[in-house]
Amino acid sequence: MNQERVFSLVENGDITVSEALSIIRKSASEGKISLEMSKENKIAEIQQELNRLIGLESVKQLIHEIYAFVEIQQKRVQMQLASEPVVLHMIFSGNPGVGKTTVARLIGKLFMEMGVLSKGHLVEVERADLVAEYIGQTAQKTREQLRKATGGILFIDEAYSLARGGEKDFGKEAIDTMVKTMEDQRNNLIIILAGYSEPMKEFLETNPGLSSRFPIQIEFPDYSSFELFKIAELMLQERDYQLNKGARRKLYRIIEELKAAETTNFGNARTVRNIIEKAIRRQAVRLVNMKNLSRTDLMEITEEDIQGEVGP
Amino acid sequence: MKQILVLGQTNAGKTLFTINFAIYLGASDISLTFQDSHRGSYTRTLELEAAKQLLVSDTPHYTRVVQSAVLELPWGKGIKKFEIVDTAGLMDGIHQDPQIRRAMSQTLAVVRQADIILHILDAAKIGKNNILKTIGEVDFQVAQFGQLKPGYVILANKIDLPEAMEGIEKIKAEFPGHQILEISALHTLGFKKVKEFVKRHL
Ligand SMILES: Nc1nc2c(ncn2[C@@H]2O[C@H](COP(=O)(O)OP(=O)(O)OP(=O)(O)O)[C@@H](O)[C@H]2O)c(=O)[nH]1
Ligand SMILES: [Mg+2]
Repeated sequence: MNQERVFSLVENGDITVSEALSIIRKSASEGKISLEMSKENKIAEIQQELNRLIGLESVKQLIHEIYAFVEIQQKRVQMQLASEPVVLHMIFSGNPGVGKTTVARLIGKLFMEMGVLSKGHLVEVERADLVAEYIGQTAQKTREQLRKATGGILFIDEAYSLARGGEKDFGKEAIDTMVKTMEDQRNNLIIILAGYSEPMKEFLETNPGLSSRFPIQIEFPDYSSFELFKIAELMLQERDYQLNKGARRKLYRIIEELKAAETTNFGNARTVRNIIEKAIRRQAVRLVNMKNLSRTDLMEITEEDIQGEVGP
Repeated sequence: MKQILVLGQTNAGKTLFTINFAIYLGASDISLTFQDSHRGSYTRTLELEAAKQLLVSDTPHYTRVVQSAVLELPWGKGIKKFEIVDTAGLMDGIHQDPQIRRAMSQTLAVVRQADIILHILDAAKIGKNNILKTIGEVDFQVAQFGQLKPGYVILANKIDLPEAMEGIEKIKAEFPGHQILEISALHTLGFKKVKEFVKRHL
């Protein structure tokens, strides 16, 4: 059982403190969780969390490289050797629902533990959070978000929309303010520009100055059908549900169909989540008037619970 | 920074110990970081005597938030900083007040990372009453949990009170194989041994 879950059971009055302690102790002695939270352990735990994410192999590899680079530069500084400047602003490109925010959040935690960021929190914004309607107000609005994100990560979704209106648009003012802050305040803030691959590429091509300021560029690939299926299983497992044979087959087929039909604008993990949530509701409806439900009944998702079209 | 966690049932004297131990180690004020689920995390610095007035009480479940202070110990030629964390009292069974349950769940959330656990028992209360009513299942669980940690010790508190004598005997009988230090949080008795324990296990 996951730790947060144990705490919330205590908070809800479902289990006693003693029971909670015994659960935590058992999972610790079985080696499922570590108890000493030294810096190394905390970092290892975050890396584990990253590695547990399904797929994203190239992303994981790259983050490990960045981690190693920063760690070694820090060690070189300690030994008074020449060190490379560590610029950690990043570009995340890829479709929605491929894990960009999740990865950004983990990177924040990682850099916090490494001492690169003081807080490691994530502030997610989009154009409307940075750009104001009237002249002169955008800089202020952008600075406010930058201030909120200081010590952590400012994650700008669909960042290219800042360049949408051309030279006269206030989006440009937001970019300029951002760049200025990046220069004044070299450390303790990481900016991540995120969005679809194609418009991001164009955005960087038309703003060559930005490209060099965001040296880490990570491409998030779409999940394969199999990875999406694994994600679905994991989501269900976390909620104490499981698929029976028929349901597995049907879910896999639906995922493959959605992937094949490119017109459906398949939102990757997000769509899978919707299918799962719908299935859980349908299972509830199927069971609600039955008597003598067993534990297995309550956990099992069957073929008829799985439905492709995702409605409310 | 290493973390020392002060755990125990309500009214055992956790808060008074935390504050007096801070004074003992030469701190002049205590900066308390409150972890409040409504307001998030915020810090208040209190002069130590004022903190005692404000935060110590014989009202059960008085501490509802995780309170922590940064302390220093001489270390070689320099000093070593560490954090002492005072927690909400634990209890057997399930309390009907959701606020108290939340406080206990917050205590649990910090148990895991702690480097040292100081488990406080009210030796006077245990001496005076039946152990079935005074030493809880939760104390045994904490003791068992403590074995997974490098530094776990029982502090038998309130030894300034006469009933504590018998209490200490009972505690020794109930927790064989565990190190037990006798203290009075009120009169700072036995603090030297606690300091040595902390130094050894940091
Ligand atoms: N005589 C005596 N009284 C003590 C001693 N330690 C604590 N007390 C008293 O016991 C009561 C509870 O002390 P606290 O420090 O508030 O207890 P706590 O463990 O923090 O309690 P909660 O916050 O409710 O969990 C207070 O009235 C203290 O003055 C001691 O060593 N001797
Ligand atoms: Mg208290």
